[in-house]
Amino acid sequence: MSALLAIVALLAGAYFVAVLEGWASTGRFRPAGPVLAGLSLLGRESVVPRRPDRIFFEVAPPLLLASAVLAAAVLPLAPGLIVADLATGALFVNAALAYVMVALLMAGWGPDGAYAMVGGFRFLGQLVAYSMLIVMPVTAVAMRAESLTTTEVVASQAPLPNALYQPVGFAVFLVAAMAVCFLPPFDLPTAPGELAGGVMAEYTGWRLAMMRLARAVLVVTLASSIAVFYLGGWLGPLLPPWAWTAAKTLAVAAAMLFVGRYVPRVREADLLAWCWKIGIPLALFNIFFVGVLLLVV
Amino acid sequence: MSGPSKAPANARADAEAGAEAALSGAREARPSLLRRLVSRAGARDLCAFVVPGPEVARARGLGLRAAGLSVSATPRHANVLVVVGELPVGLREAAVVAYAQMPRPRAVLAAGAADVSPLPGPDVSADAAEESLAAGVARLRRLFAGGAFAPEAEAFEVAALGSRTEYACPMHPEVVREEPGTCPKCGMELVEREAADGGEQGDPEDAHQGHDHQGDGRTHEEDMHHDDHAHHGEGDEHGGANHADHGSMDHGDMGFMSMVKMTRGTPRSSDGLQMEWVEAPFGPLLPGLPGGLSVTFTLDGDTVAEARANSAVGRRQDPRGPVEEFVERFARLDPLSPVSYRLLALHAVEDAVGAGARDEGALARVGALERERAASHLNWLAGFGHLLGYRWLARRAEELQLALLRAEAGGIPPIRAEVRKLARRVERTSLLRRRLAGVGIILADPAGASGPVARAGGRGADSRADEEAYLTLGFEPVVQEGGDALARLRVRLAEAQRSLGLVTRAGGISGAIPVPDAGASGRGAAALETPRGSANLRVKLEDGEVTGADLETPSAAQTRLVGAVTEGREVADALVGVASLDIAPWGVIGEAPREAAG
Amino acid sequence: MSPLAQYALLLGLAAGSVGLALSLYGIARSLGKTREEEGKDVPATAGKLSRDPVWARYHVRYYGYALLFLAFDMEMAYMYPWAVVYKELGLTALLDMGVFLAILFLGLLYGWSQGALRRQ
Repeated sequence: MSALLAIVALLAGAYFVAVLEGWASTGRFRPAGPVLAGLSLLGRESVVPRRPDRIFFEVAPPLLLASAVLAAAVLPLAPGLIVADLATGALFVNAALAYVMVALLMAGWGPDGAYAMVGGFRFLGQLVAYSMLIVMPVTAVAMRAESLTTTEVVASQAPLPNALYQPVGFAVFLVAAMAVCFLPPFDLPTAPGELAGGVMAEYTGWRLAMMRLARAVLVVTLASSIAVFYLGGWLGPLLPPWAWTAAKTLAVAAAMLFVGRYVPRVREADLLAWCWKIGIPLALFNIFFVGVLLLVV
Repeated sequence: MSGPSKAPANARADAEAGAEAALSGAREARPSLLRRLVSRAGARDLCAFVVPGPEVARARGLGLRAAGLSVSATPRHANVLVVVGELPVGLREAAVVAYAQMPRPRAVLAAGAADVSPLPGPDVSADAAEESLAAGVARLRRLFAGGAFAPEAEAFEVAALGSRTEYACPMHPEVVREEPGTCPKCGMELVEREAADGGEQGDPEDAHQGHDHQGDGRTHEEDMHHDDHAHHGEGDEHGGANHADHGSMDHGDMGFMSMVKMTRGTPRSSDGLQMEWVEAPFGPLLPGLPGGLSVTFTLDGDTVAEARANSAVGRRQDPRGPVEEFVERFARLDPLSPVSYRLLALHAVEDAVGAGARDEGALARVGALERERAASHLNWLAGFGHLLGYRWLARRAEELQLALLRAEAGGIPPIRAEVRKLARRVERTSLLRRRLAGVGIILADPAGASGPVARAGGRGADSRADEEAYLTLGFEPVVQEGGDALARLRVRLAEAQRSLGLVTRAGGISGAIPVPDAGASGRGAAALETPRGSANLRVKLEDGEVTGADLETPSAAQTRLVGAVTEGREVADALVGVASLDIAPWGVIGEAPREAAG
Repeated sequence: MSPLAQYALLLGLAAGSVGLALSLYGIARSLGKTREEEGKDVPATAGKLSRDPVWARYHVRYYGYALLFLAFDMEMAYMYPWAVVYKELGLTALLDMGVFLAILFLGLLYGWSQGALRRQ
């Protein structure tokens, strides 16, 4: 029962994120936007490119959706409201998010088209950049919570949210989260101006609807993970716990979506260089810093 | 469900029931409740793919977003093909390809275009004006809601899209047969290949001379392993360059083949590795590049190994004729800067007649030209921002450009203030500086480009500096050092600001400019600094008719720079470099025929 | 819930998303089939039909980073259990992992100095 509620909440969150994304990219706030777009896409033909790698082409959208949903399934909405409170929740989130890369590479290779191919391999480079930065801060969070269970991670933030306790880790994780869900300025695989849609370009009709849905769920998942790991999840006065989680998640999602308007797209070479030369030393420093804090305080 | 053979009675019954007309690109199905629901949703979610490009729409003052269309980067995500202005001959095929790649239900909206053949007749025709476009979009919505699914839907068949299967020898690609067989030269089995029907595949200029036969030895050995996959090669004109082979290199059935042996003879990349090269068009209709500029990259991974660029626009209407017609046709030569070309034609004709620029009109002409220069730079900036993924910049530049085009003389100073704010903000974005510094750098320029491209490299040639009207207004050219995309951005921003200042000081933006009297004869020449560089025109008048015209535009030289700007760079940087040149493909091909000497 | 039941639930979720894909396919298919037309199934490349395949060895330029990534990924696998018991073990834990991380970090610095961390 709580599992069902959590899934419904996830889909509702994905809907809100889709509305926010439409607002951020077009400047118009259309609450019925995703419904109209979804119906419209279902009514369009879905073209399969000639001689594709059929398995890759077909598997990519459901795989992207599945990985986002699975990662969200271990993130709590409220103390009892979670699909599966795994003992290794924090690890599972990262494991599930690894399939985002697999899905996008499949989407890049499958259609046998130039733009998709370039987009897919650029995302692989993006993964090499963000992957460490999405994992190391979670380690520091687990150090404080003494557990990988996500509910205990939230409980450990009762005195102080991790955003204040480990600000460096928070900043690094935030940037990496934007890179995972390839939001601008990290939209290398789907660059609208350069690659005319990139990996998403060859998907039309219901498959495109699936990709867009999967992308919205992915953004919600990452925003939710930031809320859970760094902003204290359901903790907060006055409002019921699930309202706090929802508010924090949506606030983070809005921040991620709107920040991208004001920055040009990052080059792949620059992203890799900054993540490895600045990001990883910062993440390592963060682990060391949290380690010392935990022993001393 | 649907069936192609519908009894005529049904169609008549539908017509009698007052069913709305169907889209030309409707899906073939009987209308049902779910389909109606979906069509109505689709009508509210119109997504446009603009031909020749969003910058042409902006140059005409059309705000597509305000009209209710969202603009898509790829035809696959669009359901409306918007044709802005007359579709040039060379772009018709590209438009057909884009339309063919749009999933049904799809429609064509012609904004200011009378003839869009071979596309199916426009579902909605509108003028290239804001209100007309909005009304057209509303009509299109109704069409979509009613006619996205139709019992009968025509097929869209154009010769340019067809393909046929042919059989070619992997070793000798020039040996092509219609049926399977063996190659007469080497006896190898002919391999199946897909090729374009109805003529050549790609441009005739696409012949690869550089690296054709080195790959042959390698491809011969590999192809013996590929039984299940058809071996695709490039068209006949491409000689022996078989770059893209299949990636599945497991040769379990034929024994181990070392990578060294497989890649012997292929060109080496900058890091010493030899990999396959793939040819990809970033062709005439990429939204980040100027519409009509056909760019083809040979990609080595994500690096551009070779680049070719030419204008796909094709021949334009011959402008020669009576003086007034000549001037008008000349103005239509380049939809991105009509005022400049109109003024150029006028100056040349006036020079031939011997009239000389009238003083009271000179300042107004300066005002008009400078307003267009600022609008053109803002238009370029909007497209550049879109290419960079810098959405705020793209949006803001587009707003300012449209406001500038609509403004009266009194409305210029506030726009100038806004442009100054925009420029300051762009200067402060360090990520933008980082993104553009060193990209598309041109150090020495043998091609002789002019305009902002040259001035960004420190060569301060500006034909305005010689003109009296400009000197009285206190004009100075903007020159930057660096020769890269960042310098060009700065030059254009500064020029836009200075142009707006000149407009304010000139005090007027002249609308109608009188054409000199007919009946004169003579030869004349004029030069004008268009927003993209200096253009030269020589005309020969005979009895009030222009019988010869010779035009040199800045874009030809800039197109020759594309190779220097792109080769060896990552594809994103290459595209930024090409976009920073601000090439207007309209002036490259299709110049007025050169007159015979004497 | 026992871990096995939780994983079964997660498997059910994955199956559910595949089911969602199939039902979307079903709805779309009930609205009509895709009409096969010339030129429609060629990958969209900005107005020019490019029928050549692109399945070739893609020349990535970030392989220096990728090799270092492997090393660090292995390290992260060890850090997860360490993080859970860290506070319990105290200073020894910090020193143990600190040495490990320091060695890896030196490896990163070495790679940096040798030019691995750049676009090749």
